[in-house]
Amino acid sequence: MSYVIEAKGLSHCYPDGTSRQVYAVKNIDFSVEKGELVGIIGHTGSGKSTLISHFNGLLKPTSGQILVDGEDIWKDKETLRHSRFKVGLCFQYPEYQLFEETVFKDIAFGPKNMKLSDSEIKERVLRAAEYAGIKKELLDKSPFDLSGGEKRRAAIAGVMAMEPEVIIFDEPAAGLDPKGRKDLIKLIRDYRDRTGSAIIIVSHSMEDMASLADRIAVMNCGEIAMQGTVDEIYSQGEKLRSIGLNVPEITEIFASLRANGIDVPSNVYTIEQGSEILEKLMGGVHHDR
Amino acid sequence: MTGEITFGQYFSGSSVLHRADPRVKLITSFWLIVVIFVCRNFFSLGVVALSALISALVSRVPAKMILKSLKPIVIILIFTAVLNIFYSKGGETYFEWWKICITEKGVNTAIFTMIRIISLVVISSILTYTTTPTALTDGLERVLSPLKVFKIKVHTLAMMMTLALRFIPTLIREIERIMNAQKARGADLETGGIVQRAKALVPIFIPLMVSSFRRAYELALAMTCRCYTGGEGRTRMKQMKISFRDIMLILYCAAATAGIIILNIFFGAVI
Repeated sequence: MSYVIEAKGLSHCYPDGTSRQVYAVKNIDFSVEKGELVGIIGHTGSGKSTLISHFNGLLKPTSGQILVDGEDIWKDKETLRHSRFKVGLCFQYPEYQLFEETVFKDIAFGPKNMKLSDSEIKERVLRAAEYAGIKKELLDKSPFDLSGGEKRRAAIAGVMAMEPEVIIFDEPAAGLDPKGRKDLIKLIRDYRDRTGSAIIIVSHSMEDMASLADRIAVMNCGEIAMQGTVDEIYSQGEKLRSIGLNVPEITEIFASLRANGIDVPSNVYTIEQGSEILEKLMGGVHHDR
Repeated sequence: MTGEITFGQYFSGSSVLHRADPRVKLITSFWLIVVIFVCRNFFSLGVVALSALISALVSRVPAKMILKSLKPIVIILIFTAVLNIFYSKGGETYFEWWKICITEKGVNTAIFTMIRIISLVVISSILTYTTTPTALTDGLERVLSPLKVFKIKVHTLAMMMTLALRFIPTLIREIERIMNAQKARGADLETGGIVQRAKALVPIFIPLMVSSFRRAYELALAMTCRCYTGGEGRTRMKQMKISFRDIMLILYCAAATAGIIILNIFFGAVI
């Protein structure tokens, strides 16, 4: 299997003025296959943001390599530039990058930089707007007139319009209300299913990850501490707690149910899963309260 | 990027100059800077240069930091020195070739101007190195308060200055963030001619403006929530008090000025 993106022995250290070297990320081996949806979790300062800034060459590794389609992105200037189009990076609060007169023009900014033809740009913008759930009538509005959620989606469409092979989302749902969160997660998953491009999501939310990711990498102190499927990671509650993370609340509730002798599965990570199981367990008993 | 800005940077310490009253520091710095332009010969200028040197030593700000504050003016220094060497003529001729002629007066003026500029920058950077931006604007507000007679809103001006200084690092971080976001969308900021580069700044500046206005609005709201109503009836947490060392500073400046005037009279003018 070939990887779309691969980090090999990646280290990055920030100069801190003294001779001591501080590694933000250290010796990272990480790869993503085509069409995969990978989650990266870790507490604040664990090196997540530094890691993803390497994936499209915003930061240059101190040592190690980043391969996109098997090619080192720092080989020459041209490769680096192309890697920016192959790897889309959607930062936290991406709505703050909007600048054009209309939503259409803003989404077209990326494709325009790729020097595509006007008809191709138009096609891509319409497609991306559709993926991101932006209604057609919004395309002629100023991005500054949109609501918060719409702005976020417009910015995400701006990245999607470049049709990269991998999109990296840094806390895509930060600052959204529960419904907005849910919609956005669905949007990202649908996008992956429809386009088959790989997706990397960085998040704090263990629950969002459980319902979204095929595979999870846990970062701690600049290193990848754990890597595996949702089940493999979430079943190690002790280890997660030791690095300052936690399993979703619903998983804890089910764990205490088990501890109290109620026969429920231990691999419950989302509220939907949980409520389904509980409903079955209670045998359709209705509570008229 | 953030590390390169030295102007207005505070270097924490506990020297006499750090503890001196900001009003007095403002007045004495301004005083010395004015006096620089009174000097007519190397002896009187020496007094000012020596004062700058002494205050640099007393402040215990590392020499490296002071040299760093001189870095941006190197070009200006060279430019003025070169101009003075060739354009001021008089006295003994040291060197002559075709139309270029270097004279005693030229060399003297060049050195004189250089010392002047260096002293000026050193004195003002010691002021900012030893005074926190807040103390500086507080001091400025008090020093300028007589202007209230002319209906000038001194407090508002000082508050605006404090806020501007406070937000410089924040805005620099913001610029870095937006630049990264646009680079990730394939924005090319590094190549092309002047026009192209100027155009490439649009995607950076518009989001920056938008977020600055948003920040300003939020800040105004937060200040209102904390009952900020402007300068009227506002008291201070840190009361400024003139102490012995402040009086010494003022006396020093007075003595230096007197010395400079005497030296100006006793020795002939160089420029």
